[in-house]
Amino acid sequence: MQDLIVEGTGSIPAIRADWEAGCVVMKGDSYPENAFELYQPVIDWIEAFLAREDRPLRLQLQLLYLNTSSIRAMMDMLDQLQGAFDGGRTVGVEWRYERENERVAELAEEFREDYTFPFDILAHD
Amino acid sequence: MKQHEELESRIETLLADPAYAGHPLHEALASLFECYREQTRQIERVSRIADRYQDAERDRGLSYAARYQRQLRQVEKIVRISDRYQNMLRDMNQRLHWLSSRDELTGLPNRRHALVRLREELQRLGRSGGQFCLTLADVDHFKSINDGYGHDVGDRVLAAIAHGLSEGVRDYDVCARWGGEEFLLLFPHSSIEEVQSVLGRLRRQVAVQSGELLPAGAAGLTLSFGLTLCRDAAEPLDAILQRADQALYQAKGQGRDCVVIG
Repeated sequence: MQDLIVEGTGSIPAIRADWEAGCVVMKGDSYPENAFELYQPVIDWIEAFLAREDRPLRLQLQLLYLNTSSIRAMMDMLDQLQGAFDGGRTVGVEWRYERENERVAELAEEFREDYTFPFDILAHD
Repeated sequence: MKQHEELESRIETLLADPAYAGHPLHEALASLFECYREQTRQIERVSRIADRYQDAERDRGLSYAARYQRQLRQVEKIVRISDRYQNMLRDMNQRLHWLSSRDELTGLPNRRHALVRLREELQRLGRSGGQFCLTLADVDHFKSINDGYGHDVGDRVLAAIAHGLSEGVRDYDVCARWGGEEFLLLFPHSSIEEVQSVLGRLRRQVAVQSGELLPAGAAGLTLSFGLTLCRDAAEPLDAILQRADQALYQAKGQGRDCVVIG
């Protein structure tokens, strides 16, 4: 499976899914016109990785603003990770936020609710 | 059920008893018993299949319910998170709005905000009449402060004067940085006499500040004021501002540190 690379713009995040590293990185704002179109390939990539590999999978997020359909897509991805975790896989999320933007951390905490896999919310300067 | 089993067991015993072998009823009973057995098996099979269908239907119903519950929880979570994002954006918007109406150095409302308030005041005049006073104030010889003591001191002087002016007016008056070393003061519902008294107080305050802000021996800080009254809601804003500006120009011409009414 190939790596997945989406160039970020003002309205969509930069996305890098690295098969070798077992890591998906998403960075930026997310209010795309069509969230399904943007995130379905990421969801498919995660599904393929979880099906074909038994290595750990890491999701690294540095997202500032998400519109409603992006929130939904994000929860679909986190649900995928939860499913894998329940099946005994090693998965984890790192949500990074700028230290002065405490509200982003609060939102990440809202996302984290209900999930039992490792989900770290980390401040950076 | 027990009765059936007992009967079946009795018949099996009878059929197995060699004493009845060859009796015409033996063969008929054996055939009838076989037929009964077959039908019993059929009934059990049909019931088993029907039960499995019922179980499958029930499971399907349960999984629909579980899926519905899960999706409901997901939707609730999405709505909750989305609301928080919207609140965050609204707050950021308000903050940006505030920033766009403020002067960074002095913290006073900026020229844009002052113009908005002036237009509102004119509209109010149109609706309910009355009057307001407008004053333009300019720091005297500000260039020589900048040149003589540096821009840092100049900036501090501006910030201190701004603070003094805004503290010295009423809550519903407007004190804005009009540009450079120039300030705009708007006094709703006020007469020239009332404003003159306020300006007198402000001038005395600036004189006190002067000693704290500039080195000993420096010329004292003073302000020149151009003051004008507005009663006519139909008067163009530019004309009112121009009148105040000309009065300020005259104040400068008359030796500064004074108030001229235009």
